[in-house]
Amino acid sequence: MGQLRKVWIGLTGRFAWRFRAAHLLRAFSRTEQGSALDMFAACEATPRRELRRKYFRHALDEWRHAGVFKARARAVGGRSATETGVDEAGVIVEHGIIGGRTLFERLGERDFLAFVYVAEADAVEQFEVYAARGLPDPDTQAALSVILKDELFHVTYSKHELERLTGAPPTTGTAAVVGAEARAAVRRIRWSRLKEGWLRLSLDIGHLMTSLWLTLLYALLIPPFRLLARLEPAGWQAPSADPRPLRLRLQSEA
Amino acid sequence: MARVILGVSALYHDAAAALLIDGKVVAAAQEERFTRLKHDPSLPVRAAGWCLHHAGLRAEDVDQLVFYEKPLRKFERILTTSVAAFPRSALSFPRQMKSWLGDKLWTRNRLVEAFGLPSAKIGFSEHHLSHAASAFYSSPFERAAVLVADGVGEWATTSIWRGGPEGLTPLAEVRWPHSLGLVYSALTAFLGFAVNEGEYKVMGMAAWGQPRYLEQLHQIAKLTPGGGFTLDLDVFSHHWHPTRASTDKLAALLGPPRAPGSPIALLEPGADAGARAEGQRHADIAASTQRWLEDALLHVVRHAHALSGEDALCLAGGVALNAVANHRLAAEGPFAHLFVQPAAGDAGGALGAAQWAAHAVFGQPRPAGPFRCDLGPEIDVGHARQLADDLGFPHDEVSGEDQLAAGVAADLLAGRAVGFVQGRAELGPRALGHRSILADPRGAGTAERVNRQIKLREPFRPFAPSARAADMGLFALPPAAADLAPYMVIASPAADQLRSEAPAVVHVDGTARPQAVDPGREPLYHGVLDAMHAATGLGVALNTSFNLKGEPLVGSATDALATLARSALDAVWIGPLRIGRPSARALGE
Amino acid sequence: MNEPLPTPGRMESLLTRMGTAGALLLMLGRGKRPWMLPLVIVLLALGLVMVFLQSVQYVAPFIYMVF
Repeated sequence: MGQLRKVWIGLTGRFAWRFRAAHLLRAFSRTEQGSALDMFAACEATPRRELRRKYFRHALDEWRHAGVFKARARAVGGRSATETGVDEAGVIVEHGIIGGRTLFERLGERDFLAFVYVAEADAVEQFEVYAARGLPDPDTQAALSVILKDELFHVTYSKHELERLTGAPPTTGTAAVVGAEARAAVRRIRWSRLKEGWLRLSLDIGHLMTSLWLTLLYALLIPPFRLLARLEPAGWQAPSADPRPLRLRLQSEA
Repeated sequence: MARVILGVSALYHDAAAALLIDGKVVAAAQEERFTRLKHDPSLPVRAAGWCLHHAGLRAEDVDQLVFYEKPLRKFERILTTSVAAFPRSALSFPRQMKSWLGDKLWTRNRLVEAFGLPSAKIGFSEHHLSHAASAFYSSPFERAAVLVADGVGEWATTSIWRGGPEGLTPLAEVRWPHSLGLVYSALTAFLGFAVNEGEYKVMGMAAWGQPRYLEQLHQIAKLTPGGGFTLDLDVFSHHWHPTRASTDKLAALLGPPRAPGSPIALLEPGADAGARAEGQRHADIAASTQRWLEDALLHVVRHAHALSGEDALCLAGGVALNAVANHRLAAEGPFAHLFVQPAAGDAGGALGAAQWAAHAVFGQPRPAGPFRCDLGPEIDVGHARQLADDLGFPHDEVSGEDQLAAGVAADLLAGRAVGFVQGRAELGPRALGHRSILADPRGAGTAERVNRQIKLREPFRPFAPSARAADMGLFALPPAAADLAPYMVIASPAADQLRSEAPAVVHVDGTARPQAVDPGREPLYHGVLDAMHAATGLGVALNTSFNLKGEPLVGSATDALATLARSALDAVWIGPLRIGRPSARALGE
Repeated sequence: MNEPLPTPGRMESLLTRMGTAGALLLMLGRGKRPWMLPLVIVLLALGLVMVFLQSVQYVAPFIYMVF
């Protein structure tokens, strides 16, 4: 599994860094920004005081990395106006909030730690593949190697704390996770990330299909109606009279 | 039995929730402050949850939820526009229909699911009606004309209402695609700034230029006899293009657009002559855009005056956040009294939707007293102290408001910039001394330092002053704007004393956007200004929102400490707790 | 305060959706654009698929793009 992923990252990396370097760096920046949000939220919510400082430091790391990636994206160049507009507006979508609940709230402390461990270990693996292949350019490579050091710390602390939380003797460094409960949590998170990956893929395909359908519909169905559609005239218009009593108007979505 | 009404705005930008109990605004908050995603449009479950929690209520206690607009009418507008723009709408049609047919059309379902209320308790206001209600019912006026101007709601982009004890009566409206707000947004995008975010930058930049392109703008967005206006639909493309608001014809008139993110040579000392000229052209376009908007608003407001026959005017909608235009309306407009809803954007729509239902539909009386913006959550000092301890931030504490005011003033006088987190968070975009960064405005270096090292934003944007209510003579506020003084929604010429003593809060054109701090309503903040006055003879503070570039105002104690750690801010006051900068070791560096 | 709320039953949800569709058709029928009715009916049918697609809320925390 791990080996397969490395090969995949290597193959895609060669292509991606060559043709989409700025795009990739911007995406990294957004991921780091979103992660910083998730870590700050964990810092605010955790009842475990000893973990606060780690979460906070982790968040600051991610925030700093976001800036580094953004600066690299700018240096590499080749961004479209829309994408820059999104950057300028600071829109972040790569975060863990669903329905107002943060990643930490949805997972709870144990699974959150397992999540951080799995995600950061994946990132380390990805960045190591790039480093091994000398991707993409010396300047970005230098930035990546500094970031990699931070990510390694994130891997070790999250593993250590996960083991401690689940009552296993905590390990250090990059040793494998110990303790049945901790290992189960890591397995669960790996599995759910895999499922989410498939879900995303199938949703993307679904969106593509509906776009095609809608475009087809647009070409076939809209032309006859075109003759009937009129935009509103400019200038002041009398408001359309609504004879309904106020309570009925309130109840209606039209 | 008390009647509980929850107003909700969401799904476009600035989602918010507002809770009214028997017509009184009990709580209101924006979702972005909880999720930390600026302008977060998702259904405000967090904000609404907090509002209810604050009032000691549960979801089932809500008698009526009011969404701030009518989704089906909006859908009708979008579909009609798509059909009328065939075949140019080929790209926008699939995009729009996917989001509508899959999601926004079913807003009632989304609300039922998100808030756990039965469908029968869910109602819908109208976009401009919500804005109008948020302005009129928050104003001190018994009767007034109301003008709403924004990008677009359902169909209306600009609307005139009459407010009175009988409710809100629509008098006239201008409909999509003719929109004042979208002209400003199109030029904002043309100048390389993000729409719904960069409009302030255009307003700030305008002061650096001359309105050389005003005539061109009046050609493509004409003011017509009868108080109306009409857009050249070959130049503007918001009605059919999925992402662009103007066509190449705009560039033919104004020259090439500014690339987003490119440096603005206007203020860069090292810039060469060519870059400088280009920067000047951009500033001139900004100045023309600003002047055009002011001309257009005056034109529209005169019509509103003739149509309504009222002598007071309430303003809301995103356009009403243009503080420079508000000054011209107050100084040159026909109305004797002006009120602007401080949360004039869509966040205020949640408030207005609930206010309309309470006062107009259910006939509940309007509460007395001036409108307050501090309707949001408070940060628990105990929790903040605990956090500071756990994270290794040095802190100490004072007792009593007098000591607190003296402590903050001492920080400011020592040249420090501090976060000032006091009481409940403000609704809307302005920080009014509850989630603010404060600094001493004397000395020209302050503004630049706060800009470059703390706020990390463009150096051409101005800072606003807070002044003791008694010192409002420092600003030439027109008499019609008396009710606007507490909210920072109007930019007026600054007196010579302010220009010479506090240049940091005076813009390059000699104006300032003040907040009058009243000793009765804001005793603590007034105390800080009083102490500054005693020491320097000037009771004025530089007040800017407590956030970093691209982030919402701080919401939690963690947000406050995170902002402190990531900027050059010197300290944060959370209630009586003063938190200093952490050592590098504490941050693990 | 941030606990997920009970979600309404499938039947109830479907009825609410039908109510919305009905309100939309009624609004168009009575308004000044009745010609949009056939177009909207076709679109509503397609909407069934899209409701499913949009109802899956997902986020992508801590995921670094590969290409």
